[in-house]
Amino acid sequence: MVGNITPQCARLMQQLAAADFFATDMKLYLDTHPDDTKALEIYREAVKQAKAAKHAFEASCYPLCAESAGEGCSWNWLNGLWM
Amino acid sequence: MFIFEKRLEFPVVIKNRNPKLASYILSQYGGPDGELAASLRYLSQRFSQTDKRAVAVLTDIGTEELSHLEMIGSIVSQLTTGEGARSFDRYGVGDYFIDHANAVYPANASGVPFTAAYLQSKGDPIADLTEDLAAEQKARAVYDNILRMCDDPDVSGAIRFLREREVVHFQRFGELLDLLQAKIK
Repeated sequence: MVGNITPQCARLMQQLAAADFFATDMKLYLDTHPDDTKALEIYREAVKQAKAAKHAFEASCYPLCAESAGEGCSWNWLNGLWM
Repeated sequence: MFIFEKRLEFPVVIKNRNPKLASYILSQYGGPDGELAASLRYLSQRFSQTDKRAVAVLTDIGTEELSHLEMIGSIVSQLTTGEGARSFDRYGVGDYFIDHANAVYPANASGVPFTAAYLQSKGDPIADLTEDLAAEQKARAVYDNILRMCDDPDVSGAIRFLREREVVHFQRFGELLDLLQAKIK
C-alpha cells in the first residue's frame, strides 16, 4: 500500500466496492441465465448504482480510471492508493 | 481488452505485519490452486469455446480471478511492508527474503515458482469445465487452510470474501456444464 486515504474516501470506496460487486455477481448469474428478465432488471439497476458510486468517489477523492484523470494542472492519475 | 481500475474488488487494509502469514497466503498468488493459475486457465480455455455462454462465463470469471490475484498481491505486500531481513528471519521466512526481499513473487507457500503445468486447456469444453469445477474446490480448500492459520481479522475478512467467490464460481461452472451437456443430448 502506498499512502493513505481519508475516512471519507474510505467510506466512498466501501460504497463503490459494494455496489460494483453486486453488478459483477449479477453479470455472472446472467451468463448462465440470459433469459431471466427479472435478473436483467436488477442488473441494470445495479450498474446504475455502481456508476453513481464511482462518480461520487472520483468527484471527491482521485481518479480510478485513466480516462477520468488529467483535469487540473498536474497529472492526478498518480494520486491515491494503487494497491 | 483490459482496462485497469485503481482499486481492489474488495478493499484490503491490514494494520499489522506478519511475514510468515504472507508466505502462506503467497500460495494463492503463484501456487497450484492460486489465482494466477485460475485466471490463466479460464482466459486460455475461452478461446476454444464454441458456445457463447461458455465464452462469457470463462471470460468474466477469468477476469474476476485477475482481480483476486491483485488482492492476494496486496495482502502479501501489506503484511510485509517495512519489514527487514531480521524480521523475515525471526518469522522463519528468511529464505524468501534472500531471493525476493519485500517483493511479491509468483511461488507457492514453500517457494516453488509458478508453472503453467498447474493448468490445462484441452479444446474440449466438457474436459475444461470439469477441471474448472475441481479448481474452484481446490482453491476453496486452500482458503479454508489459510483461515485455520490466520487470527488477524483484517486478513481473514478478505480471505473469506475470496473463499466465497470460489463457491459462486463453482456454482456458475456447474450450471454451464449442465447447459452444455443438455445441448449435446
